[in-house]
Amino acid sequence: MKNKYQMNNLIGIVNYGIAGNIHSVKKAIEKAGGNTLVINTPTDFDLVDKVVIPGVGSFKDAMQELSNDGFIEPLKFFNKPILGICLGMQILANLGFEYGKTKGLGLVDAEVKLILCDGKIPHMGFNKIQVVNPNILLDGLEEKEFYFMHSYEMVNYTNISALTEYRGHSIVSAICKNNLYGVQFHPEKSREAGIQLLSNFIKLKV
Amino acid sequence: MNTRIIAKLDVKPPYVVKPVHFEGLRKMGSPSELAKKYYNQGADELFYIDIVSSLYQRDILFDNIEKVASELFIPFAAGGGIKSIDDFSKMFRMGADKVVINTYAVQEDPSIINKASEIFGSQAVVVNIEAKKWKNHWECYTDCGRIQSQKDVLEWVQEVEQRGAGEILLQSVDTDGRRRGFDTELAEKVVNLVDIPVVVSSGAGSLEDIKTLIKVANPSGIAIASLLHYDQATIQDIKQCLNINEK
Repeated sequence: MKNKYQMNNLIGIVNYGIAGNIHSVKKAIEKAGGNTLVINTPTDFDLVDKVVIPGVGSFKDAMQELSNDGFIEPLKFFNKPILGICLGMQILANLGFEYGKTKGLGLVDAEVKLILCDGKIPHMGFNKIQVVNPNILLDGLEEKEFYFMHSYEMVNYTNISALTEYRGHSIVSAICKNNLYGVQFHPEKSREAGIQLLSNFIKLKV
Repeated sequence: MNTRIIAKLDVKPPYVVKPVHFEGLRKMGSPSELAKKYYNQGADELFYIDIVSSLYQRDILFDNIEKVASELFIPFAAGGGIKSIDDFSKMFRMGADKVVINTYAVQEDPSIINKASEIFGSQAVVVNIEAKKWKNHWECYTDCGRIQSQKDVLEWVQEVEQRGAGEILLQSVDTDGRRRGFDTELAEKVVNLVDIPVVVSSGAGSLEDIKTLIKVANPSGIAIASLLHYDQATIQDIKQCLNINEK
């Protein structure tokens, strides 16, 4: 059963929007030892064991694109591990406030709002994560630095797995709820620590 | 959060070149080799700017961008000759995380900044400023420091922020490539004027220059070219001197 091992590791990357850093996410997952399939149609979700939602763009555009592609239902009913990256994590929330008010996937009880703090916005650069609720995804990554690049943050959320300090302000940098994982930073842009995180995701049991 | 140390590649395809005052180009190596070298040294980010694309009014060479992006697991900003939303899209598809724009926004249509930031998110839109000092003010230049625009730098940086730019790359036509220090006066003014991150470039001749810049202006990032290209310092050297711990 040579295929079985491969199937257990087949990571789908949701291809949506006109931007999308599919390319770098794909490369990084492969570097971490995973097999990837770019998800272009709703039926592609049946072929994969895990899903990564990359994120570049605005909340509003992202939801519009997911809707146009027919990806909203398959994502809502996907019962295997999902990893949302940056905007890909944010759209798991109920509501987003980037360019108006937009409904998210509603998979986690949260809202996405502009970061309000003294620091420069976007929060951009390498910053440390503090693991508050350990899980397999963040295994061995306590206090490691990851690359952040965002102006909006997730708020009102209780399933926080990591926080990041920015100018006296705590940003939710990782979440976990059942099969759902989300990271505000970009593992595909975070050198060895990022590859390690993706490798942890690949190793998660389905 | 530490100051980001960014390696900047000024490219005249197929080579990375180093102009002095944005003129007199010298070949430094191939973009992908140098990108890899600085990645291995611990660069936080990489900027790739095709410095002749606007000037020669030719199309952007996207293949080059893809080649450079393919081996990096750090953010990669690319620009030079960006004229449309379609150019932005192509850059992202080739692996860029941010797109750098100057000439078109200054000369033709600044609203491209609004459009791009609405579609791609402001974090992905970097406005490049090529500033030249006159008596009491700084003026924006375009086409790799050649064309005067009559736009005042301090006004323009506020305008681009309002239009949705997520970051400013601040270069100085006066100090670029001379390795005699940054225009710290300008850097300080711009950093204090806007709430978005400012990456300061042009003029690092020594580690001391970098220290001085941080002390005076404390920018979010510093983009380094000559110092690295001439092997005068490595990224590690810079981080060590700034007491930035290795990841």
